[in-house]
Amino acid sequence: MLMKTIVIGLGNPILTDDGVGVLVAYEVSKILALQKRNDIEVTEANVGGIRLMELMVGFNRAILVDAIISNNGSSPGRIHKMSLDDLSEISPTQHSTSSHDTSITTALEMGRKLGLKLPDEIVIYAIEVENIIDFNENPTSGVAKAIPRAMKYVLDEIGKYPN
Amino acid sequence: MKRVTIDPITRLEGHGKIEIFLTDEGDVDNVYLQIPELRGFEQFSVGRPAEEMPRITNRICGVCPEAHHMAATKALDALYHVEPPSVAKKIRELFYMAFYCTDHTVHFYALGGPDFVVGPQAPPAERNILGVIHKVGVEIGMQVINCRKRNHHAIKMLGGRGIHPVAGLPGGWSKAVTEEERQELEQIARENVEFALFSLQLFADVVLGNQEYVDLILSDAFTHNTYYMGTVDENNKVNFYDGMIRVTSPVGKEFVKYEAKDYAQHIAERVEPWTYLKYPYLKDVGWKGFVDGVDSGVYCATPLSRLNASDGMATPKAQEAFEKFYETLGSENINGRYQPVHHRLATHWARLVELLYSAERMLELAEDPEITDPNVRSPVTEKPDQGIGSVEAPRGTLTHHYQTDENGILTKVNLIVGTTNNYAPITMSVKKAAENLITAGTEITEGLLNMVEMAFRNYDPCMSCATHSLPGQMPLEIVIRDSEGNEVKRLSQYID
Repeated sequence: MLMKTIVIGLGNPILTDDGVGVLVAYEVSKILALQKRNDIEVTEANVGGIRLMELMVGFNRAILVDAIISNNGSSPGRIHKMSLDDLSEISPTQHSTSSHDTSITTALEMGRKLGLKLPDEIVIYAIEVENIIDFNENPTSGVAKAIPRAMKYVLDEIGKYPN
Repeated sequence: MKRVTIDPITRLEGHGKIEIFLTDEGDVDNVYLQIPELRGFEQFSVGRPAEEMPRITNRICGVCPEAHHMAATKALDALYHVEPPSVAKKIRELFYMAFYCTDHTVHFYALGGPDFVVGPQAPPAERNILGVIHKVGVEIGMQVINCRKRNHHAIKMLGGRGIHPVAGLPGGWSKAVTEEERQELEQIARENVEFALFSLQLFADVVLGNQEYVDLILSDAFTHNTYYMGTVDENNKVNFYDGMIRVTSPVGKEFVKYEAKDYAQHIAERVEPWTYLKYPYLKDVGWKGFVDGVDSGVYCATPLSRLNASDGMATPKAQEAFEKFYETLGSENINGRYQPVHHRLATHWARLVELLYSAERMLELAEDPEITDPNVRSPVTEKPDQGIGSVEAPRGTLTHHYQTDENGILTKVNLIVGTTNNYAPITMSVKKAAENLITAGTEITEGLLNMVEMAFRNYDPCMSCATHSLPGQMPLEIVIRDSEGNEVKRLSQYID
């Protein structure tokens, strides 16, 4: 059976660092275009919650790339690889009553309850950012430098299941 | 003085903070609403071709890209002095109705509904869409998902892209509707009408059927007498896509009706020293502070406001629902106009009346033979200078104002987003709820603070468009400090 993967870059690419995930997705998309892989879809989104869950329906695996402000002194551009469980631990989304924003866990639980086909494997690359309130198409320098590294992580992740 | 902070307000787009200051006795002294605003949009836009605005502004907000796309496209019509062909306006409106169907649905079931379906005092872990599904059944959860799915499909079909639509052009729309698509859209709209009727029935059964909830809706803690704003058609019926801006007074009389382009003549912004938020108010009434009444220029722009500002709904089933809304809430009909409903929590019901209207209007448009006319764009021949476009976004009247040089390069940009209209009424609602619920000697519980949040949540404010970096949703945290600023108690929804 074909292992179908969706790569989702999250964020707003006109809000300085907020859209770093989307920029990574663009780069991944360029490389994949050369590889002609029909088992991978790359997309972008600037909402979490239910909409994000809906994007994952029908895929076996999801790779999310997003911005993070972890408030633990991490320097901008640092990349965290996380699972959904990690996300629940560092952010209370699992217990969050939000259905938007980043409450992916609640939305996924809802989707599973409704019997939607959702990925068994969800990998999250979160890039530490600093500015998410100024309109600008360019990320700050530390964050921009993380883009090729994050792209490589995503491609390595994709490479675990060759077509 | 004690200080209670709700940071940020859960279950809403973006991030916000409510700070409640208590007196030494424990009564509410004052309430501050803090909403972080994104910065530098004008600077970002100036120097770009105005034609890019429908595609740029739809990225401002992750929740309502369609509303920005539409306001921007209409601003371009005005900027280039071009009148779109009738079919283009209809396709735009059809697209916009599909957006309303999905947006209003998610608010009711995921954001507003939990308080009424699961209960305002329920533990936060249950007071979410999972709790709603648990209470009303998996089947209904599936209906919500299907409603979103079919309307996202319609939005993609009509708007060219799923998430960030691209079809809006000055003078028209880039894509005609084929007969095959029309049939599909008609089917989608029919299902939307059924779903909206079902949702209103659910509201009647679960909310109106529970006296406790009805009392809550009618309670003074959640009531404000203000002016109301909404866009109306030539018959003073609610319209989301186009029309005149109508403002009605707290006693239900038309105060003013104006074209969107004249907004600056009617709306002014109040600056307060303690916040960078600007509070829009009615110029001709004047700013009297955060107070109710005919003499206060505070106005509100929400689903409830749109109903109050109108004489009714332009579609038959929605009109029935409109009448039931006012009759049930005890509003008197004077000379064909219902007296305004001031109960803010009724906004959730008003939103469902609007859901039905958008579904019915979508069906009318999908059944219109003209909708497949391939002539979807008028040629642009005039030089651009200035243009203002306005639509009713789900969260309030949305206005885009552009100025360009003769080559169409932007020189000035001003946006008044839906939520901004409601900054003053939101502040008043939160303060009043807090004053009513928190008095000397009250134990400040999580359930109580949720009731304060409900005052805020019914406005469905979109606080910080598309800012959603992880972890986007911090715990609801309340810190109470004594008069020296020492922490005396800390409450959190998420402490195990």
